[in-house]
Amino acid sequence: MNNKYKILLVEDDEHIRIMVGAMLESAGYQVIEAQTCATALSLASSHVPDLIVLDLGLPDADGMTLLQSVRERSLIPVIVLSARSDETDKVAALDQGANDYITKPFGAAEFLARVRSVLRFSRHSADEGRLAGGKFQLRDLTIEYDARRVFIGSREVHLTQTEYNIVALLSESSGKVMTYSAIIKAIWGYPDSGSVKKLQVNMANIRRKFGVSPGQNSYIINELGVGYRMDGE
Amino acid sequence: MGKWKLWLRDLILSSVILTVCFFTSVVLEIVFHIPEQISAAFAFAVFLISLLTDGYFFGLASALVSVLLVNYAFTFPYFALDFFIPSNFFSAIVMGVIALLTGALTTKVKHQEAMKAESQRERMRANLLRAISHDLRTPLTTIYGSSAALRENGDRLTPEQKDKMLLGIQEDAQWLVRMVENLLSITRIDSGNVRIDLVSTVLEELVDSVIVKFRKRYPNQPVHLELPEELVMIPMDAMLMEQVLMNLLENAVQHAAGMKNLILRVTAGEGQAVFEIQDDGCGIPEDRLSRIFSGYYDSKDRPEDARRNAGIGLSVCATIVRAHGGTIQAENLPSGGALFRFTLKTEEMTDEQ
Repeated sequence: MNNKYKILLVEDDEHIRIMVGAMLESAGYQVIEAQTCATALSLASSHVPDLIVLDLGLPDADGMTLLQSVRERSLIPVIVLSARSDETDKVAALDQGANDYITKPFGAAEFLARVRSVLRFSRHSADEGRLAGGKFQLRDLTIEYDARRVFIGSREVHLTQTEYNIVALLSESSGKVMTYSAIIKAIWGYPDSGSVKKLQVNMANIRRKFGVSPGQNSYIINELGVGYRMDGE
Repeated sequence: MGKWKLWLRDLILSSVILTVCFFTSVVLEIVFHIPEQISAAFAFAVFLISLLTDGYFFGLASALVSVLLVNYAFTFPYFALDFFIPSNFFSAIVMGVIALLTGALTTKVKHQEAMKAESQRERMRANLLRAISHDLRTPLTTIYGSSAALRENGDRLTPEQKDKMLLGIQEDAQWLVRMVENLLSITRIDSGNVRIDLVSTVLEELVDSVIVKFRKRYPNQPVHLELPEELVMIPMDAMLMEQVLMNLLENAVQHAAGMKNLILRVTAGEGQAVFEIQDDGCGIPEDRLSRIFSGYYDSKDRPEDARRNAGIGLSVCATIVRAHGGTIQAENLPSGGALFRFTLKTEEMTDEQ
């Protein structure tokens, strides 16, 4: 019984807390609940959860502050719950180190998929990463890191240097949303006025070369106005 | 910027009127030899300027200029200022009074017009609120009633009944979510001075995002896509534009009875992108066509079965598209079905090779 994932749920609204708690428990996770930032912080250090689910609008301190203090001490993955209207908060939370966000309202299937994907990412990234001879596999998509080659099925996809770097970067953090600015920093090192457009143009070329069309469940999921995510499932 | 432009316009207008008046006076003096009418001509000019410009400034300034001009150039002693001749003194007072009174009157009229427009907006908002509150009651009844029944009499309901009630709760909650999304969009634009943030967005990514969401809501309704081959960038508030496409697609699903094919087509060229949402359903009743984007605001126009008629969706579309500087139309196709079309300005692509 003790090998269950421990999830710290930080949410001040009772109904949402009950609902999310029930979703998680029915999926076999162990849930610890906190209503305020202060309790959340002490629970985070005493219980060392595997994942924190965090509502951004908490009564005693901004959820963002909690996120910051958690990040100062640990790499515990964090999923942020946010309302539709604050997309700037979403980007800020991701840049602050949150692993994923989910917009309220959400269903159980959608939410649990995010949880699984974030947990898998944090478990894998520690050891797998970029081992020699390392490979990434997502449905038909294969990336051979050593050879810097990408395949869809048995067809090799010929990417430019930059395109390959973007795909490799996203695959290394598969399941995690990477904001535009995080990708730009990793690929070009410095942001400038045209770099988001440069990234978008490269992504368009990657999509074309992958042969995916809009609305298809493609390998790279586009989070409009926020960034991109390599599908985690 | 707008204020500055208005000021410049008023300045040019005043100068033009005064110049015309000056030359008319010259003609009156030299050709017709009726200098006594010159004061009248200038009084008329002052009146016109006070009427056509904003506020008091230009009226009073032109009155002053006119008094000086008439005094200096057109009355005895010529080409000298003399305020001690009673007729000159009198004309100065008359022009000043004309400028003040006309200015006061036009300001008052303008103020009243603004108030009228404001009260019209206020009435529209009240209508909208009334209509929405009315629409909210139905899904809330289902949600409250069903959940209460499930808790209180859960053991006496068959699994099928329970499932049906839960589905009802879920569907009506989703309806509420959509309503709230629309209201959020409207308030974001309507709240006056909040300008929408235009961020250049890749058309393909916008469509992708919308279609993924649409499929989640309506897994059984395929959407046929026709998109341009090349990369198209459009400056927009992506979240609001997602809402427009979503509302139009949803509108087809809910109202185009008998629809088999749903098409989302985008063409781009000459600096604009044209979005078309086409269905082959029952079409739009002719009497509703002209007011389809504003119908919701007018309570008399609402049909009685307004429950599923989220008519607010289409007015939201129009509001958002217009806020982006685009146009939106709806028409019935000769082959049957309806077509919604809206345009947006595209961004010039600079090649970075």
